[in-house]
Amino acid sequence: MGMGSGGGMGGGMGGGMGGGCFTYPGAPATPGIVTPHVTFVRGVYMGGSIRMDDGRNVTVWGFTDGSSGGMMGGPFPSPPIRVREGQIVHTRFTNQGMMWLHTIHHHGIEPSSENDGVGHTSFDVDGTYTYQWRASHAGTYFYHCHTNTVLHAEMGMYGALIVDPANGERRAFSNGPAYDVEAIWACDEIDSSWHSKSWDAGTCGGDAGLNNLNADYFIITGIDGKTSALTDPRVAVTVNRGQTLLIRYINAGYYPQRLDLSGLSASIVASDGRALPTPVTVTSVRTTSAERYDLILKPTVAGTYTVVVNYLHWVTGAVRGQARTRITVK
Amino acid sequence: MRRRDFLKAGAAGSLGGLASGLGLLNWTPRAEAALIARTLYITQGNIVQPDGVSVFFKGFSATNATLKVPGLSMIVQEGDTVRISVTNTLSTSHSFVIDGLVDSGTIVGGQTKTFEFAASKPGSYLYYDKLNAPYNRLLGLHGGFAVMPGLSGNQLYAGSPTFKKQYFWIFNDIDPVWNERLRTGATPTTAFIPRYFTLNGRSQRPPGAPGYSDPNIDAGYNPETKLEGYIGDRSLIRVLNAGHCTHSMHWHANHVEWLTANGVRRPAIWLKDVVPLDNNMGRADVIYPFEPPPDAYPPVTMGHYVMHLHDEQTQTAGGGLYQFGAATSIMFK
Repeated sequence: MGMGSGGGMGGGMGGGMGGGCFTYPGAPATPGIVTPHVTFVRGVYMGGSIRMDDGRNVTVWGFTDGSSGGMMGGPFPSPPIRVREGQIVHTRFTNQGMMWLHTIHHHGIEPSSENDGVGHTSFDVDGTYTYQWRASHAGTYFYHCHTNTVLHAEMGMYGALIVDPANGERRAFSNGPAYDVEAIWACDEIDSSWHSKSWDAGTCGGDAGLNNLNADYFIITGIDGKTSALTDPRVAVTVNRGQTLLIRYINAGYYPQRLDLSGLSASIVASDGRALPTPVTVTSVRTTSAERYDLILKPTVAGTYTVVVNYLHWVTGAVRGQARTRITVK
Repeated sequence: MRRRDFLKAGAAGSLGGLASGLGLLNWTPRAEAALIARTLYITQGNIVQPDGVSVFFKGFSATNATLKVPGLSMIVQEGDTVRISVTNTLSTSHSFVIDGLVDSGTIVGGQTKTFEFAASKPGSYLYYDKLNAPYNRLLGLHGGFAVMPGLSGNQLYAGSPTFKKQYFWIFNDIDPVWNERLRTGATPTTAFIPRYFTLNGRSQRPPGAPGYSDPNIDAGYNPETKLEGYIGDRSLIRVLNAGHCTHSMHWHANHVEWLTANGVRRPAIWLKDVVPLDNNMGRADVIYPFEPPPDAYPPVTMGHYVMHLHDEQTQTAGGGLYQFGAATSIMFK
């Protein structure tokens, strides 16, 4: 990851905030604000870059850990938000609204309208706003920008959001299955032709091509799934026989996906931050955009298992691309 | 429930015993099965999309001089006999089909065909024109049909979780290149690349946009579409995908109870904030519970939220105009 150039200031920039249409800038006081149990501070970066396995650099946008921001780089995906069930959480978000507008939507978290991060039902953040919410259910979520979402989420403005049980135990949910090793796989596709547009592309009308996503890269948690994710320790997992692995699988793209576990058997114990009434045993999981599945694996046979994420065409169902990583069982 | 009450309910809907497609449907079960009669007219015309482009459609309409896309939805009761009369005002052949219940066969141009079938299986169905598939369906010849279980006014199937209100949500994806080819009688030759995305025939408008909050234009304010209720107003949503694309529905403020997929009861009811919707007549039944948003602090009981498809290309019109796609409002009153 390095300091990209271009970023959000690419072709078609309409001249800062005034260039966007149907945006709702604001930064009011948080209703009923209290002292939280935990605070996360987020800013915006619009000049990130990731290097793909073919040597190309692709511009990404995201959230910084801290309030600074601008035409700089930053971590991709955005830094996780990790809290405990029952905690009151502040996500203090600073956005330099004179340049562009953004929000944070804590996807699957269900707060008041003001704290939901949807521009047209509240506001696009212009300045600093503190989102206040209380985590009611342990599980797997993610957060993402909800301004011109079609473009901003595709540009990478998302990060994991994990709610642990209230006592902090390493369990999928309160009184749920315990785990020894955890993997967070946010599976996404990239259409690099979208990655040189202005933050407000299309919002005033005109054909910005945002109805037609033709992905050319397929990633797992920010790592190119062509080759790098097979071995990158941020994605690939090693587990000993007898240990329990929790995979938090997030469909962070727009295409339907099918995760194939290479013959390994998994138990789906929760989805979308809610425990299932009865776990379901699978070797493959089909998902659509923004679904989350919590998979418990207890592998018993040593070996190297190549996991394949298939990204599917929304009309034909054909595989448009694949990302691969590995589970190594010792 | 006696016959007199049934007639009163029917008169309220002014549809001769059929409940119309209003979101605020109040269904009252009857002790006796009934003969439910309905007339539909196959018509065509143009509908202006959010970017001003006028696109050709066909529909199952209420009169021979109007165009309704999707066609008015119908709710009947298990055991009813349904008599449908379809007048094809066009010169092209069409049909009326509910898979598993009825197939009119070909209705040629100018013909009126009347047929009956038994509402034998509770559930949510798409009625549609099966000829020239999938084109006639994608052009707008589709609508919602539901069979309520006998003697139950508040269940999807006998023993299901209960609801207070029910809605049809019919999604469609529109590639104007295809619609224009079909208008001329030709078959599309290009890949399907939709440019408009509708929920019950409309797209959402954001505040400040022409048509915003107009129930005839804005899918976010159409009473057949937007979810509106007080705490406890559990709302059944019968989701039908008339379109050609797989979708992903995302509700804000509450998880839904996911009861069925493609007409089949799920082995267990999952609580989801995202529910997948298969393309080409995929179906789902969910209940939006209207519970206090569980993560609000301080707690709230009111608010304005959204449901949108999370395959976000669907939130656009004409390649841009984010917020002008397949989405609606969720109003906690």
